[in-house]
Amino acid sequence: MSNSVTSRPAALANSRQRRPGAAAPSARRQPLSERLLGYGLIAPIVIVMAVVIVFPVVNAVVTSFQDQRVIGSPSDFVGFDTYAKILGDNAFWEALGRSGIWLVANMAVQTVLAFATALLLQRRGWWSRTARTWIVLPWVIPTVAVAVIWQWLLNSNYGIVHQLLGGIGIDIGSPFGDSAVAFFAVILVNSWHWFPLSAVVIYGALSTVPGEVLEAAKVDGAGAWRTFWAVTFPILAPVLFALGLVGSLWSFNVLDTIYLITGGGPVDSTTTMPVYVYDTAFSAFRSSQAAAASVLTVIVLAAAALLFVRFARPKED
Amino acid sequence: MTTVATARQTRKRGAKGRGLAAVPRIVSMVVLTVLVLGPLYWVTISAFKGREEIIRSVPTFWPETFTLSNFEQLFTSTEYPVFLTNSLIVGVATTIVTVVISLAAAYGLYRLKVPGSGKIAGIVLLSYMIPGTLLIVPLYRTLSGLGLIDSYAGLVLVNVAFTAPFCTWLLRGFILAVPRDIDEAAAIDGAGPTRTMLQIVLPLLVPGIATVSVYAFVFSWTEFVFASQFIVSDSLQTLPIGLSAIIGQYTVNWGLVMAGTLFTLLPTVVLFIFVGRYFVGGLIAGATK
Repeated sequence: MSNSVTSRPAALANSRQRRPGAAAPSARRQPLSERLLGYGLIAPIVIVMAVVIVFPVVNAVVTSFQDQRVIGSPSDFVGFDTYAKILGDNAFWEALGRSGIWLVANMAVQTVLAFATALLLQRRGWWSRTARTWIVLPWVIPTVAVAVIWQWLLNSNYGIVHQLLGGIGIDIGSPFGDSAVAFFAVILVNSWHWFPLSAVVIYGALSTVPGEVLEAAKVDGAGAWRTFWAVTFPILAPVLFALGLVGSLWSFNVLDTIYLITGGGPVDSTTTMPVYVYDTAFSAFRSSQAAAASVLTVIVLAAAALLFVRFARPKED
Repeated sequence: MTTVATARQTRKRGAKGRGLAAVPRIVSMVVLTVLVLGPLYWVTISAFKGREEIIRSVPTFWPETFTLSNFEQLFTSTEYPVFLTNSLIVGVATTIVTVVISLAAAYGLYRLKVPGSGKIAGIVLLSYMIPGTLLIVPLYRTLSGLGLIDSYAGLVLVNVAFTAPFCTWLLRGFILAVPRDIDEAAAIDGAGPTRTMLQIVLPLLVPGIATVSVYAFVFSWTEFVFASQFIVSDSLQTLPIGLSAIIGQYTVNWGLVMAGTLFTLLPTVVLFIFVGRYFVGGLIAGATK
């Protein structure tokens, strides 16, 4: 595993260096048959994306200006009324706030876990070698399995964690049923599910840091801390940036983990934005409100993503 | 000369300090191992425990009486086999369609590079970034307009829309690694663009195809949100929904639930053992571009 993980980026780097020399045939010289083939090949994905993503997004925006309840029922245009209703709904703001906490807490826990794991994976020895294979397991298994596993482990009657901690006098109660701790319990479970992905990506990026440079820094008397910030971090920066952007978006959108473990409860304590939208649409049957909430969320997300790109993008040199 | 000597000295000092310095490292290794493998171990042995043993107040760390009764009950008296079959059908269909579509798109965008490729690739990736939450409501309406609610085809279509863009992007690295000189050689031999693609480049992309297949299958196998709304009949439900329904019905029977969980996570684990390294390699290649 380690070999292919490290050799892939290298192979790619080679192919990139070769690319300018053997540049793509320019538009003028590309034969018609090749161009037709190209557009024919691209057509299916464009059609699928248009039907499943683009058209529904337009539809969502239209629905958000109507007063539709059950999906597909007749409805009238009401302008910004639905938006006004949503903006005046406490539940919406609470869900948005919870999503903010969810995002930050998940990213923090996962980044720390992933970094520590990546550093351990990088070492020599049998542990690191075998861990490179099994570390990804929590990420690979289906979310429904993750949800069931942790409900079983933390079960307040027969759960192993409960029994082990009970043995040393700690009573954790039932973490998913207690509105004070349920949110953080679900955050930890979600982090368990997702941290291996970041760990493996960071590990891959770490292995692109040239060993000679690290050695040279050591010889020059730079400590571990300075070496990290001066040598390792600049090389990791683009990867961490991509991971931060995509990881945040993925984290924000998590619905299944929360829904399968707590269903948004107890007393809404785990209702993040996606859960709120899902419930509004399919339990409360208020399609327009769900659509308006989604549109507002996407605007907030897009703004946040733009700020992130503007201020956190590593400088290219 | 002096620098070499200092370097050697530092290394020696490092080696001497290893005894104590290694403690936090070894502790973190143990913690990580327990954290990741512990839960999976516990689920596995729970599935083989009898009804009485699993709820004992003093837990056993290895099944005293190794029983298959949980699995027997799972397959004979629950709907599990139906859900398993549905998940397999949707998973295989999603995989095949995803591979065909993303391979075609990646070849057109990153190899033939028809005019406008860069823009199209950007738009496809961007639309992938749109949150699924936004889509639940309108997608339901779109699918019902197409008559695809409560059908395998509808679910496959939605799955493909979410796997194909990422898979196209994953394939990019694999396609760029195939040298372009091959094309010229093929052209000299009189092969047209279609033949070059199918007979010369395609066979070189097998690792890429394996990676993409696994991603698509695992996505479909795991997908919960869309399946929970776009499939209505119980007889068409996939595993994630079916399993959570079984849990609702048999809350007290944890052995049965664990057997179901084990069977649900097994295929993804097995697949990953085979092609995981390509997948991770592709991810890293993409992220470090």
